[in-house]
Amino acid sequence: MENFTTSANSFLAEHAKNDERRHAWAAFTEGGLPQTSDEVWRYAPLDTFALERFAVPEAPGVAGTSALADALGARSAHVVRVVDGFLVSSGAAPAGVSITREDSGDSLCGGPLLEHYQRDSFSLLNCALSPATLVLRVDAGVHVGAPILIVYSATSGASFPRTQIVLERGAQATVIELFEGGADGLVVPLEEYELADNASLQLVNYQRLDVSAWHVARTTGLLARDARLVQGVVGLGAHYDRSRNDAELRGANASNELRTTFLGSGDQVHDFRTHQFHVAPRTTSTLLSKGAVADASRSVYTGLIEIEKGAKRTDARQTNHNLLLSPSAHADSVPNLDIRENDVMCAHASSVGPLDELQRWYLESRGVSRADAERLLIQGFFYEMLSALPTDLAAIVEADVTDTLSRVAVVAP
Amino acid sequence: MSELVIEGLRVSVGAKEVLKGFDLTMRGGEVHAIMGPNGSGKSTLAHALTGHPGYVVTEGSVRLDGDELLTLSPSERARKGLLLALQQPFEIPGVRPIDLLIAAGADSSSVRDRMDDEADRVGLRRAVLERFVNVDLSGGERKRAEMVQLGVLRPKFAILDEIDSGLDVDALGAVARRLSAATNEWNCGVLAITHFRRLLVELAADVIHVVSDGRVVATGGPELAEVLERDGYEPFRVAR
Repeated sequence: MENFTTSANSFLAEHAKNDERRHAWAAFTEGGLPQTSDEVWRYAPLDTFALERFAVPEAPGVAGTSALADALGARSAHVVRVVDGFLVSSGAAPAGVSITREDSGDSLCGGPLLEHYQRDSFSLLNCALSPATLVLRVDAGVHVGAPILIVYSATSGASFPRTQIVLERGAQATVIELFEGGADGLVVPLEEYELADNASLQLVNYQRLDVSAWHVARTTGLLARDARLVQGVVGLGAHYDRSRNDAELRGANASNELRTTFLGSGDQVHDFRTHQFHVAPRTTSTLLSKGAVADASRSVYTGLIEIEKGAKRTDARQTNHNLLLSPSAHADSVPNLDIRENDVMCAHASSVGPLDELQRWYLESRGVSRADAERLLIQGFFYEMLSALPTDLAAIVEADVTDTLSRVAVVAP
Repeated sequence: MSELVIEGLRVSVGAKEVLKGFDLTMRGGEVHAIMGPNGSGKSTLAHALTGHPGYVVTEGSVRLDGDELLTLSPSERARKGLLLALQQPFEIPGVRPIDLLIAAGADSSSVRDRMDDEADRVGLRRAVLERFVNVDLSGGERKRAEMVQLGVLRPKFAILDEIDSGLDVDALGAVARRLSAATNEWNCGVLAITHFRRLLVELAADVIHVVSDGRVVATGGPELAEVLERDGYEPFRVAR
């Protein structure tokens, strides 16, 4: 089988016209993969990670869709399919929405992607090896009623989907991203969301990859004045699930609500990172991270709230709750604050522990068996996170979460 | 007719013995009240009966229709017909009332209609029952929601732990009317722990028990509540 370096080089030869790719590849080869001695990578099982195992595809593989994707698709206004990072079908987009494939190598943050992600090895790989950027644009003032579903399927090997969602002034949309497949694969999504003045995006990144996959994702939201980003990140799959979700609140009154949640079982590692960067005054960020770890799985949540001088009357809140479902599971929670302005409201809270004994007793005292009480509480732990979803989609995702949970063993500490 | 018999119950919380040989017998359809000063063991009784963790029963027996409850799990006790309504019901984020009730044994095909009926009966907006259990509910809504659970689950005996505290007159009336109706509809026995006579008037209590220092020190009819209101608990205090 072709190894990573050989296949990456032949991919780059095919896409020779784009210098950005070559520069990104050069930057990656110079810096190499991260080491667990890097603080931000200390929880990743990099000792078992063999990049050379993953071949870079020249073309999309053959992927069917799951029942889950079909169910979500049936309730969506529009379905976009991406296989192994390649846009394979987008059909006729709803009025006021365009879905295009672009190969510019520019970041929505301004400047080239390479410049913005030069210190992040996996993002550099995406900059070099993504087939193209999928750009979903909603025109100014357009309110897209029903959700737009993007299904990212991975067959095997390495895939580097890159997505930019742009909402022009006053636009509103709901986008559901579903990641699936990826057995023995590496999936490295790189996403940017640009919300112009008064735009509103409700977004769900639903990661349902095979438990053998490596998933290293990074998303960045850029919010102008009065823009509103409500983002839900759900990680159920992957052997190593890393999700970095950043937001820059650049315009006054911008708000970012981020809910991240994960369920770990077996020897999974969920590694969630967030960075809420408040640049403009009167901006709001509300971050709720909740996860549960069973068996010998582990999780880490590291969140940074950064408030720039001049971002007066910012309101930033960060909450992280971790549920331990087995004595062998482990969760770490590392909240950080970096505040350079006095006139702000800032709060963070975190907890790590087993199911709440008194909540369980309350349910049991109604006649709910202990096993059912535990099941309800664990489901509830996740359902609370899904309450931001449109109702009919939430029911589908809830059923999927419930099904996944039913296979997880709960062992009292 | 169902019967609840509590005999010689001794319960410790941490290193402290709170109930020191508590006796009480009641039958279905009756309303009994337990009154007593703070710290006399009233709430401990309610929590120990339903198997709250942290309340250790060291001696005694609690039988419902002859079956010993103290050896059963909290859910088994509830399935036998014991339901506790709390002063401050817990918030259970992410769990909906309907899912709780189905898991507690309510018939899934009729539970929705029954919840709606019960909500109407206690003046609780039906939409409140779409929220997660007790989350973002006012004090009055929580207690009315507890009555909805009671109406759907139809326990043989309902134990109310100071459910009247913090309730306004309307809510108190709604709760009391629902409980009184329950005593007729399915002969529900009601054991109300309270500080206040008003609930007892609304409920028309048959028997009043005065508790002091972990024991019942006096038992009588409704007139006992009037004595308590006039003279306070001091005459009933036992020497320690």
